[in-house]
Amino acid sequence: MKKKSANFWSYFWGFSALLYFTLPLYGTLDFSLRMKKGEISLMAYQVVLSDPKFLESFRYSIVMGLITVTISILLFVPTVYWTYLKVPKFRPILEVISILPFIIPTIVFVFGLIRTFSRPPLLMTLTPLKTDVLMVAGYIVLTMPYMFRSIDVGMKSIDVKTLTEAAQSLGANWIQVLLEIIFPGVKLAIISGALISFALVIGELILGDFLVRPALGAYMVLVGRSRAYEPAALSIMSYAITWLVLGFFLIVSNGGKTKTYWVGKG
Amino acid sequence: MSTLNFSNINKYYGNTPAVVDFNLSIQEGEFVSFLGPSGCGKTTTLRMVAGFEQPTSGSLKINDAEILTLPANKRNVGMVFQSYALFPNMTVADNIGFGLKVAKKSKKEIDMKVDQTLNLIRMPELRDRYPSQLSGGQQQRVALARALAIEPKVLLLDEPLSALDAKIRVELRAEIRRIQQQLNITTIYVTHDQEEALSLSDRIVVMDNSHIEQVGTPAQIYNDPASKFVAEFIGHINLLPVTVTNSESGEVSIHGNTVKVKNARNFENRPTMLAVRPEELNPGTVVGANNLTGIVESVTYLGSIIRIRLDIGGEGVSIDLFNDRKFISPQIGQSYDFNFPVEASWLI
Repeated sequence: MKKKSANFWSYFWGFSALLYFTLPLYGTLDFSLRMKKGEISLMAYQVVLSDPKFLESFRYSIVMGLITVTISILLFVPTVYWTYLKVPKFRPILEVISILPFIIPTIVFVFGLIRTFSRPPLLMTLTPLKTDVLMVAGYIVLTMPYMFRSIDVGMKSIDVKTLTEAAQSLGANWIQVLLEIIFPGVKLAIISGALISFALVIGELILGDFLVRPALGAYMVLVGRSRAYEPAALSIMSYAITWLVLGFFLIVSNGGKTKTYWVGKG
Repeated sequence: MSTLNFSNINKYYGNTPAVVDFNLSIQEGEFVSFLGPSGCGKTTTLRMVAGFEQPTSGSLKINDAEILTLPANKRNVGMVFQSYALFPNMTVADNIGFGLKVAKKSKKEIDMKVDQTLNLIRMPELRDRYPSQLSGGQQQRVALARALAIEPKVLLLDEPLSALDAKIRVELRAEIRRIQQQLNITTIYVTHDQEEALSLSDRIVVMDNSHIEQVGTPAQIYNDPASKFVAEFIGHINLLPVTVTNSESGEVSIHGNTVKVKNARNFENRPTMLAVRPEELNPGTVVGANNLTGIVESVTYLGSIIRIRLDIGGEGVSIDLFNDRKFISPQIGQSYDFNFPVEASWLI
């Protein structure tokens, strides 16, 4: 009797959670399809996709995301690795630094960037290229908590020190250790951190808005202020992109798995 | 194959000594175990050979060439770790071939060496498995093969069996010895397991508190321990406080009884202990041997051995007898005569 009642409540809460997440999504999808009065159509999507500003901002944010993720990986993997290997006592300090973007509001951070880098000697906002460099630096800081933590968890899951020593005793130099042992060992952690960071850059609003660059986040806000159906279509598209990215992540992570026969002390 | 020479090796972490005045010469093809309790400095010494620790002072030579100036990846020293340390993203074959790949050997050469090494560890069928698909014993065999594939000058094993089950441990240690003798490779084996050290080694270096306590063959270490620490650390030992009554004839007194020992000289007028192994004590009295009597405190069945615990004037003494079906167990509290040969006891 007790088991039956527990089953009912677990289904009830499960179903409620499903409704909570899917109803707003359904509402947005439905709304985005009703641009033409009295019929269901993809007009809002057509309008968005045919807007050159959307394509420009989408391309811009994708490029920014890729650059940010690449630099973050090159920066954080060796840093976290070195911390684990040589200066483990600095890990708590690094952890505190990594969560600073959570503590300092983005708007304050962006104002700080603008105030520091919009005047000599560090003038970075005069040309689009220099501003983009500043944007990437800002994105790296904003995505640091996700990237750092993912890589940190990855490093925790492998015995960094012993694997490094094993590789060294076999004649490997630092670059070989990093590329052939450590990177593959934390591959999944890097991918998950990269995807979260990438998604964050794609949707980031404040940096693009305040540094006046054509980022997708800023474009979405602009469209949301002046139009009705297109923002709904944009939201559905961003959901789709997120799911596609998650799907890609699942495929990659399953690809790395191997069949386990049996593992034991014997 | 190589000789290895440690000269005045010292290692300090700040003011804390880890290894002090370590001097040792290891011959070509010799199997030497570093044995001691946790924190005695044995692993630190091994890691200095591997290049993972730098000594504070001293010299370390392989074939008369100083290696302390070389980084770890240039020393050509194979190492096997307690935690196996196999690369999880690589197959068994890739793990074994890693050192050769790094050394830029040809694919044909790598394949040949991998096959050869897999045959050496008797696991050719596991070539394409990943470490997660292997048991602990198999993983450690692969780790051994990986270390041997690069044909190192010296093989270092850092407690390689301590993560394994008892049965596999015994099997694998025989395997390690077979391979070491087959290849005649100079080997250092770190362990805190005296049985492993005694069964595997040509020589044992017993360490305690950052110092070498004794270096010798397993028989020397067991039969003639140089210090109280070695005597107590290796096997079981009975230690009884005695007074030297005649150092010339080797006579000492234990609670009013006189017994003879082989080394009474230099022990006059100072606190002295008589040491004798439990298996050297025999029931009954024998003319010409040392005869004593105690009161039975307990009789413990240990499988192949029966341990009788006696009380002699407040001091405990253990006697180990082989399990014999005809054995009649003494009663607790009864008086029990026992004897031991003069040459089996010594003062420390």
